[in-house]
Amino acid sequence: MPTVKQEDIYKEIKDFIVETFLFGSDEESFGDTDSFMEKGIIDSTGILELTSFVEEKYGVTIKDEEMIPDNLDSLSNIVNFIARKKG
Amino acid sequence: MNSPPIPVLSVMKVHDLFEQSVCRYPDNTAVIHLERKISYRDLYFRYAEMADYLKGLDIDEGDRVGLLYENSIEYVYLYFAIYKAGYIVVPVDTSVKPEMINYILRDCDARALIFQSKFRRHLPKIIDDDTGLKYLVTDKNPKLDNIRPEVITFDSIPKISAGTQMDELLSDNAIPDPAQSPHDLAAIYYTSGSTGQPKGVMLSHRNLVSNTLATVEYLKLTEKDSIIVILPFYYIYGNSLLLTHIAVGGCQVVDNRFMYPEVILDTMEKEKVTGFSGVPSNFMILLNKTSFASREFKDLRYFTQAGGAMAPEVVRKLMNAFPQKEIYIMYGQTEAAPRVSYCPPERLNDKIGSIGIPVPGVDIRIMNDDGIEVPDGEPGEITVTGDNVMLGYWNQPEEQSQVLRDGRLFTGDLGRKDEDGYTFVIGRKKEIIKTGGNRVSAKEVEERILENENVSEAAVFGVEDDILGEAVKAVIVLKEGTGLTKKEIRNFCKQKLADHKIPKFIDFMDALPKYQSGKVNKLQLAKM
Repeated sequence: MPTVKQEDIYKEIKDFIVETFLFGSDEESFGDTDSFMEKGIIDSTGILELTSFVEEKYGVTIKDEEMIPDNLDSLSNIVNFIARKKG
Repeated sequence: MNSPPIPVLSVMKVHDLFEQSVCRYPDNTAVIHLERKISYRDLYFRYAEMADYLKGLDIDEGDRVGLLYENSIEYVYLYFAIYKAGYIVVPVDTSVKPEMINYILRDCDARALIFQSKFRRHLPKIIDDDTGLKYLVTDKNPKLDNIRPEVITFDSIPKISAGTQMDELLSDNAIPDPAQSPHDLAAIYYTSGSTGQPKGVMLSHRNLVSNTLATVEYLKLTEKDSIIVILPFYYIYGNSLLLTHIAVGGCQVVDNRFMYPEVILDTMEKEKVTGFSGVPSNFMILLNKTSFASREFKDLRYFTQAGGAMAPEVVRKLMNAFPQKEIYIMYGQTEAAPRVSYCPPERLNDKIGSIGIPVPGVDIRIMNDDGIEVPDGEPGEITVTGDNVMLGYWNQPEEQSQVLRDGRLFTGDLGRKDEDGYTFVIGRKKEIIKTGGNRVSAKEVEERILENENVSEAAVFGVEDDILGEAVKAVIVLKEGTGLTKKEIRNFCKQKLADHKIPKFIDFMDALPKYQSGKVNKLQLAKM
């Protein structure tokens, strides 16, 4: 069960994705564990925008070698990745 | 093994490239896709099963068959099987809106669609009463009610019985070749043009085979080569990777995860690929955002770059990162099947910014508006002749007559040749923005924006972008008394345009700068 703070992160990142890549549309919703790649929500340039957002918002640095699906390819993966980064 | 005679260029059709390699290198690995691998022999069996089945459908030779499939082992044998069955292949961009897929299928009057079940959710918008589809062929039944086309799943297609030897199928002519000649239409690739709707570029077997063999020649490809494939096969550059490596008995290492580029780099090392092909945004992402430049890639022999102009400083960065690797900067367009020119790696340093010299079998001339060739150093339109030049645009004779005259292709790009015969692109005649490897018609985006009732004028053009090469920018004048936000504009565009066409940058102005003729001065806008 996500903590209260993690719930905030879920919402903030989901809102960013919906605003930036789905242009606020409710039509294409996605679940916490849905693959961004499989669902075609974000492309290779979009992932760079997303990681910039995460770095600025949460004060983490995402190394090149950390740009992998396990860390970034779903809402759950990102939130868990941020939690690990922040210890 | 009793193999059939290897066909020569004059009689070769696209699927002969595949069958030839099956005969020569049956045990070579043809395709690797993540944990899956397939040899030429096994790929041939899948191809033969599918081709034989497709031939038996109640549609005619020369009918169009759409192919909506991601890069995969399946794409490869399906693609060649359609040719073998005598139909025209229409590869469909998997990223476009379903309404656009519907348009394409109606425009080319496709009789069958082979599609991957992951696109199932789009089917109700893809198929309507106006699509003449008789068959849907798919890996899994979409289980949709009330669809007219007959649904055929892969598992219902008869398999070749175990123990059948490959040469039984080849030498007995068990699957007769279609009656078409190499000069007949083989495939239709839809591409954006300067008017609203995409155009179907008609390519013959000769167009594709000659250009494939020319590319093999200058890249010096052999059966030992393997290419990491990040570009989609439905894109003519991606298709070129497929055909060239199949033609030599080489290997396609398919990896569709460029969204996570480090993963691609790991695949390149793991599979020991010898070649990497990309568009400018691929290289910019790799050079700026990954460990690409610090990796050795011991087995990598070459890079190729096409799909738009890559800034000289990025080319230099690539050269500095990999001084021992061959770098081929290339130029082409779908209408040229696609390869027109390449810069030999050994000349890249002194010819940086050039698109190079014509590929074998192709001729480039720079012509003025009167159709006369200009002297070296003078600007004009880049025109091309060769076996690679398209047959024309499907059902668009007017558009066709603007670019094809007496077998000469007028590319719409402005350029000049230097004294060594190297061509440099200096601009574009038509307003096509090449963004992230995609072609976007500025006019099409303007027309869509203008459909918004609050918009008075719109000017769309390309601006330099670090990642995309060029990004789409729109400058908009709103009607008095109205208000729209950038987000609202983008939302509006999203309903009408593929994602890559939606303007990345939007500005609002009270009035657009114009020439005396009344035409919008986009050069001035781009500088603001």
